[in-house]
Amino acid sequence: MNSEEIITVATGVVKSWDWATETSRPLPKQLDVKVKLIKELVPIIVGLRVKRLGYLAAITGIDLGPEVGEMDVLYQFCPGDVVITLRVRVPRQEAMLPSLCEIIPSAEVFERELQEMFGIQMLGLHTTEHLYLPDDWPDGVYPMRKDFDPQILSH
Amino acid sequence: MNTKQEPQRFVIPIGPQHPALKEPGNFQFTVDGEIVTKAIVRLGYAHRGIEKAAEERTWIQDLYLIERVCGICSHIHALAYCLAVEQLAHVEAPPRAQAIRVLVAELERIHSHFLWMGVSGHEAGFDTFFMYSWRDRERVMNILEKLTGNRVNYSANVLGGVKFDLDQEQIASIRGGIDFLEERTRHYLDVVATDFMFLQRTRGIGVMSRAQAEIMGAVGPTARASNVARDVRKDAPYAAYKEYPVDIILDERGDLEARFEVRLKELFESFHLIRKILDTLPGGELTARMPRKVPAGEAVMRVEAPRGELLYFIRSNGSDKPERLKIRTPTICNLTSVVKLAIGHQLADVPMILAGIDPCFSCNDRSVQIRTSNDPDGRMLSWDELRQHGIDFYKRLEK
Amino acid sequence: MKSHQNFGQQLLKSLKDWARVSSPWVLHFNTGSCNGCDIEILATLTPRYDLERLGVKLQASPRQADILLCTGPVTRQARERLVRIYAQMPEPKYVVAIGSCAISGGVFRGCYNVMDGIDQVIPVSAYIPGCPPRPEAVIDGLVKVLASIHSPGHKIPSDILEGALDPEKVAA
Ligand code: SF4
Repeated sequence: MNSEEIITVATGVVKSWDWATETSRPLPKQLDVKVKLIKELVPIIVGLRVKRLGYLAAITGIDLGPEVGEMDVLYQFCPGDVVITLRVRVPRQEAMLPSLCEIIPSAEVFERELQEMFGIQMLGLHTTEHLYLPDDWPDGVYPMRKDFDPQILSH
Repeated sequence: MNTKQEPQRFVIPIGPQHPALKEPGNFQFTVDGEIVTKAIVRLGYAHRGIEKAAEERTWIQDLYLIERVCGICSHIHALAYCLAVEQLAHVEAPPRAQAIRVLVAELERIHSHFLWMGVSGHEAGFDTFFMYSWRDRERVMNILEKLTGNRVNYSANVLGGVKFDLDQEQIASIRGGIDFLEERTRHYLDVVATDFMFLQRTRGIGVMSRAQAEIMGAVGPTARASNVARDVRKDAPYAAYKEYPVDIILDERGDLEARFEVRLKELFESFHLIRKILDTLPGGELTARMPRKVPAGEAVMRVEAPRGELLYFIRSNGSDKPERLKIRTPTICNLTSVVKLAIGHQLADVPMILAGIDPCFSCNDRSVQIRTSNDPDGRMLSWDELRQHGIDFYKRLEK
Repeated sequence: MKSHQNFGQQLLKSLKDWARVSSPWVLHFNTGSCNGCDIEILATLTPRYDLERLGVKLQASPRQADILLCTGPVTRQARERLVRIYAQMPEPKYVVAIGSCAISGGVFRGCYNVMDGIDQVIPVSAYIPGCPPRPEAVIDGLVKVLASIHSPGHKIPSDILEGALDPEKVAA
């Protein structure tokens, strides 16, 4: 498949969720899908997976800061030379997302990162142990959040 | 005391050194007799908080920080970063700079593969192999030093181009070095494909089928040894790879032997590519002008590091610092596969399976703890002892 | 009688020093480095630079090591292990901080998860600067540590120092 075909297939998949998504193409080889309803995220990913577009390259969290009060989470899939990005937005307070471990085993490391660094609770991920942060890291402190203050660690 | 004989169950943590990642890892293997039944990974021993630090520094300072994510593939990290920032700033590095970037990237691949080859030879108890390949590796290091002034952390990239040029003398010395290394590589390929003792440790061990490799998201040579044609240099050519295409080396066996062969055969591609670049190096400028502030936007950049696909995601808010910088290293993808593959294998094979994904085992000789399930204090083993266990195990088989 | 004892102790000490200087066993610990320094240490041990010609042996366990080679800025997770390894080493022990990171935190100074240098956690006898230091620098640093092990007034056996940095020998 060349990049045009991949994008056509992917757009076709996402079309069935028309009411919950918004698609755009920032660059010729990028497809951006804004997923407005978190509960549709997993079905969309399964849809992509069925079409073999499901090589999950990364899950990226971005904190937009306390003023906005929300965080972006980007699921990046890279079939061929195309980058398909699924975007969801979660509140900073009590952020929750479904885990993809059941469908994509390699998602686990990324999800644990989100959990530790951003404090997003991953539903269906059975571990809360630290993967990156030290064992004696204080609870409820998430270093990748914008309002993280390293002072808290000094004692 | 419980008199009933229970099968001995041990938990063996290995680590915490795993320097190919931003985070050296610590693995815990539960074994039942000789067979591994469960594997857990713990990272974080080298977690320095680079992604956070990058948000607090300027674009130019970040370049030097990024170079030090990993000392083995420092060029490719810096390259991915530069390409992503250039994409955001709508700047394109001149063709000569792009070609030099590819040249250094391929030299780096050679140095990295030689390094890996030696270290995994060492894990197999084949120390001669280790010493020879590291001796030969010094030739690449010489070339890199001559080119860039540094043996490690070459700092070849700047935002918008490269820092140095090539002259005729350097070109000649690169050619000489490449010829020498090519011959040596041929020899090593012969060794890994025919040496009986070595094949015992690699053939049919750690087999990963194509479907497994795909679902576990393996990348780089690890994936290619399982017949997954995934190579960013080919799929989404960056820098000058469009002008200098490479062939993907595939193998369908998916075992350790295949991983060795794929990496060694890849070296021939690199030699070939380097010669081609030296023959047809485009002329012109070395750098393009870069603004100090980078326009707001997002960029995803994928490059092929020696260990597989490396992904950078950068979001800029238009200031002189990035808003978010995400690094996805190749080893983190391959980790999942190791953790799953080790299950069902002999404990003696674990060092080789781990080395097989090239997590760079230069310094894993630390505490390995063996612990029975009803004795929480456990017994300490060093990685060396585990390695020795593997070597002895196969010696016993010999008899 | 007393002077005899002294003499005996003196002799024993000389003997120990001689053994220590002639064949120091080193332990290498990565406390969160980018592993640039680590590969250079390894390169120092392989044929081109061949540190083993000075009697230096890389040892896997702290209990038999004389010198601890540390790289990296000490991450919070590695700190406790570093202290433990240091405690396990027998006296007298020497710590060498290799690379800018190990000296001060280097580029990672101020990151939330690092302690900014080995000497924030354990005492250090020698610092080898560089990012990473070249193998020659590592050899030079080690030789200086060995020189300091010798009590003042004693000379290092000349065959150890001689040629350690001889470019002829170093070049392959
Ligand atoms: S001093 Fe430089 S090469 Fe050494 S660990 Fe630190 S960043 Fe890496």
